Amino acid sequence: MGTVSQDELYMRAAAEFGPALARLAKAYEADASQRLDLLQDIHLALWRSFSSFAGQCSLRTWVYRVAHNVGISRRVRRRVAKLISLEELADLESAESPEDAAHAAHALERLQGLIRKLKPPDDQVMLLYLEDMDAVAIGEITGLSSRAVATRIHRVKLLLSRHFRQGETS
Amino acid sequence: MTDIKTVWQTQTTEDNEMITLTEIRSRASGLKARVQWRNLALYAYSMANIAITAWLISTGHHKAYMRYEVPGLLLVAAHLFVIWQVWWRTSVRAMPGDLIGRAALDYLRHQLERQRNALSSAWLWYIAPFMPGLIWELWMRANLHPHGVAPDIDRALVLFLVLSAAFFWIAVGFAFAWGAARLDLRLERLNTLKAE
Repeated sequence: MGTVSQDELYMRAAAEFGPALARLAKAYEADASQRLDLLQDIHLALWRSFSSFAGQCSLRTWVYRVAHNVGISRRVRRRVAKLISLEELADLESAESPEDAAHAAHALERLQGLIRKLKPPDDQVMLLYLEDMDAVAIGEITGLSSRAVATRIHRVKLLLSRHFRQGETS
Repeated sequence: MTDIKTVWQTQTTEDNEMITLTEIRSRASGLKARVQWRNLALYAYSMANIAITAWLISTGHHKAYMRYEVPGLLLVAAHLFVIWQVWWRTSVRAMPGDLIGRAALDYLRHQLERQRNALSSAWLWYIAPFMPGLIWELWMRANLHPHGVAPDIDRALVLFLVLSAAFFWIAVGFAFAWGAARLDLRLERLNTLKAE
């Protein structure tokens, strides 16, 4: 694949998925400078990855795979605080009532806090669920079977309904 | 009334979502340059050592009764071996081009396997190659000396150095093995996840 195609693919991907990539970076990094650094790392990895992209999967799947893999690498490298699974997170007591989390800004902050506590691939499933992806797409990106994805989505829904009163976040 | 997905998808992101190709290329060049400088420093260090050893061998700047050629050549071979290993391990062949675009579980498995392999073999290709030459030289300095001439190094000191080095490297070996075992455990968990 030539340089022109690589650039074109990147420009297309950045235009189409740029906001989703920024949300992903925001979920992984609380600190603004680290977040920008991660976002730039994702864009760089994406641009470089298009030299070996030969239509193995859809553009969307490829973009999310690259972005999540950069996120994973960073988490592994930085040895962030102990991460837990969805099941373990569900067992933790919610410090605030759903009413407290009713404001959108506050809800967003809490949501990002929850994602940062999760270990892979649970964090990825939750992020992709929030991006409104179906189980098949999540399976393609994470490598989990559709059954495993379905189980996790179920847990994500339970967790979200416990921490936020669905439909009343604003 | 909105749900949590809408809150998530409509959040404002202050970061610049569209990064220009010029910025990307500049970041790529910076990254490449950092890796090249790191490898260059290692190559320069090895080449300097090779040059000094070759000079010592060719000019005979060592005591006549010591056969410095053999340990010297062993050290040169060790340096060349390490240079080749660094080149091979950091070359494109070591990392599949499409790796970053693979499903997250496969990517994570590849990363963990790479770390595990590095932990379990680094001392073998980075440290062990120098040992024969160094031990040979130490032994020679402690033992080869004409009658009535004191050895270069005291035998007790050589013994102490060898035992200390052995103890240190055994401890390092255990630490690496422990790290590799932990990574094996994580790999097993990944396999379980994949099989779910």
